[in-house]
Amino acid sequence: MAERNDAVRAEAPAMRPADGAIAVHAEALVKTYRSRAGVVEAVRGVDLDVAAGEVFGFLGPNGAGKSTTVRMLTTLLSITSGTARVAGVDVAHQPDLARRRMGVALQEAGLDPRQTGRELLILQGRLFNLSHRDAARRAGELLELVELEEAADRRISGYSGGMKRRLDLASALVHEPDVLFLDEPTTGLDPASRLTVWDEVRRINTRGTTVFLTTQYLEEADQLCDRLAIIDDGRIVREGTPAELKAELRGRRGLSSDPSLDDVFLDATGRTRGGGAGDVREVSA
Amino acid sequence: MSHSLALGQRALREAWRTPEALVPTLFIPLFFLVVNVGQAGKIFPSASTGFLNGQGYGAFQLPSSLLLAASFGTAALFLVEEIEGGYFDKLRATPIPRTSIVLGRLIAELAKGLLIATAIVLLALPFGITIASGLLGFVLLIALTALWAVVFAGFMQLIALKTRSAAATNSGGLIFFPLLFLTPNFVPRDMLTRPMEIAATLNPVTYVMEALRSLILDDLAWDRIARGFAVVAVLGAIMLVLNVRMIRHYD
Repeated sequence: MAERNDAVRAEAPAMRPADGAIAVHAEALVKTYRSRAGVVEAVRGVDLDVAAGEVFGFLGPNGAGKSTTVRMLTTLLSITSGTARVAGVDVAHQPDLARRRMGVALQEAGLDPRQTGRELLILQGRLFNLSHRDAARRAGELLELVELEEAADRRISGYSGGMKRRLDLASALVHEPDVLFLDEPTTGLDPASRLTVWDEVRRINTRGTTVFLTTQYLEEADQLCDRLAIIDDGRIVREGTPAELKAELRGRRGLSSDPSLDDVFLDATGRTRGGGAGDVREVSA
Repeated sequence: MSHSLALGQRALREAWRTPEALVPTLFIPLFFLVVNVGQAGKIFPSASTGFLNGQGYGAFQLPSSLLLAASFGTAALFLVEEIEGGYFDKLRATPIPRTSIVLGRLIAELAKGLLIATAIVLLALPFGITIASGLLGFVLLIALTALWAVVFAGFMQLIALKTRSAAATNSGGLIFFPLLFLTPNFVPRDMLTRPMEIAATLNPVTYVMEALRSLILDDLAWDRIARGFAVVAVLGAIMLVLNVRMIRHYD
């Protein structure tokens, strides 16, 4: 599998970002845990380069290592071996500086339900060293950006799932980060809320912020991402633009038309639509 | 420090907006005070019980209620809720010192401890309890109780950070009950049976309780007061170091 994957990645060298404009760089990134069952290798040597200004999609089945990789890149998890730089800063050696350059919105839409949206954003601003006045001004701007002005002074516990996601996005943008990490930003949202979040991501990206997005929804990746990587079993198994990955599969399989990103994903991860006899693996895509 | 204060302010707002979590902190210690006095008050009449220094048995029992109230802090449970809900990671993704995340909640516990201790003592005064050590003694009484609240909240936060489980954190809080009952809770230490006296002497809570009790029953007895504050200072420093260490290595 690894040899085939290397071949797939080698076919698209032209799409690798130029060295001078790399927003996220990971080299031989490894994460191992000790558990009762022994040592678990969650991430087994991930190499990544994300160009500044890109929307980069990071796909993979459940348990493939997506969130673990993101948590290492965002300083929330220690790195067992390898190096990672975000906006040019080594996340292991200068974590505070790296945190100033990145915004993070994780899977759970981590918010404090007892605060109002405005209070949460002001606090977030103060934690990034803004004065109370500047934090309040920035909170106002962001509430307008994510269209939550009317709900701004209501407690977050009363927000819908979509509103929470948008507020979470806003809180990740308080300090105007260079790179925004979004870990499954639309999981659990209804279709309308999902489209709203997509619009927000596009709007944030057009303002110059690099977006690193993990998702299980291939349509989302197809719609939003300039480039993407597929991780499986802790290793990157595909990397390129959606069009390149589809063309590669079409050429390799001799298909008469372009396959979908779902087909690329299933091919890359060795899954099948029906699953083999006795195969109990589940494919969310 | 400004980050700790901002987070402390948020934790206080959180407490204010969850009165259902604050009410038991006030009600249960007062309930125990009434019940304990009701059960043992006649055994220890103030006129003939030397260790009461002329006060009723309620004055002797008040420190137990204060310590109980101080051990009902909700900081650790809110912390677990934040860990489970993801907000804790949001805080960890900011460039603030890790110590601020710990200190923010402890500052709020100190403020809550001051308010709750003041409320309990003020509620006890109409029932004939007086603070024999005067105004300074009253201030020290409230301060020592609030500092104990911080120490115990620090201990609970350790459990929360280690287990990341609300159930485990809740259960961990129950450790206070054996600690409370291994003190000279109902009678002075020299009236306990020998095994209980040894257990009470080894129990650090004993010295906090005796300091609180001396502030209520005696004039300023500096040796006992100093022992109480010393225990709180040592345990507080240990808890702070362990909390900071735990959060710095949190993965």
